[in-house]
Amino acid sequence: MPDQSHVGRRYTASGQRIAPESTAAMAQAIAGADPVREPEAVPPTFAAVYCLGPTLAQLFTDPEVGIDLAGLIHGEQSFEWPAPVHPGDVIDATAEITGIDVKRGMTFVRLAMEAVRPADNTVVCRATSLMIVRAPA
Amino acid sequence: MTAPAASDVAVGDSVTLVSRTVTQEQINAYADASGDHNPIHVDPEFARSVGLPGTIAHGLLEMGILADAIASWAGGNANLLSLSCRFSKPLLPGDTIICTGTVVSVDDAGVATLEVGASSDRGDRVLTNGRATVRLSR
Repeated sequence: MPDQSHVGRRYTASGQRIAPESTAAMAQAIAGADPVREPEAVPPTFAAVYCLGPTLAQLFTDPEVGIDLAGLIHGEQSFEWPAPVHPGDVIDATAEITGIDVKRGMTFVRLAMEAVRPADNTVVCRATSLMIVRAPA
Repeated sequence: MTAPAASDVAVGDSVTLVSRTVTQEQINAYADASGDHNPIHVDPEFARSVGLPGTIAHGLLEMGILADAIASWAGGNANLLSLSCRFSKPLLPGDTIICTGTVVSVDDAGVATLEVGASSDRGDRVLTNGRATVRLSR
């Protein structure tokens, strides 16, 4: 189980290319049966793919932290987009565990992420996530 | 597409945002697009085995629809500067998600802050404590 000793642990995912076919698939999934509103643009929450996904995947498989995926809930999410991401960009993402609290048998894991485009040294996304791990039933 | 003019946006304004019915096909498409294939989203039997009524939409799909709704009002994705929310209640396939927003401030730089959220047509508040900032045109 996650505990205080894991605060400060960092996960890095470098060199992710923003593939146009991937951003188009995300835009279509968000639009559902509706037409995609801005087909050439990267949907803001594509940050789920270049910022959250590759760093959280490392957290979720970190044997020293030992998160039970069956009991995992995404509790809260924030994103800031200081600059737009474009198809073809290459992005480096980092995540850091900023807090771990246990309340009512649940473990609250807080993370802060940042995604940077090294080509022009621009921060394209800052994010925070709250992941809640329920105790096994 | 252009952003609403700062002079046309006032504190207390309610903004009309899109509603969208979310299907299991759409949830499956989001699982593929995001890489999040957690079985609670795509496998009804598994979802019921962990105490859910069935599969549930990804929170980030709901947030993606809310972001899309705000960006549509704001005149484009690039005008959505930030978004945060709590995933309070699950959205189920077949539910219609209804996004709402109210302007709470407009600063001197023409950035509006909105309280935003989303409910299901069954009356559940699925996204709460939502905040968005949007760049208006001058």
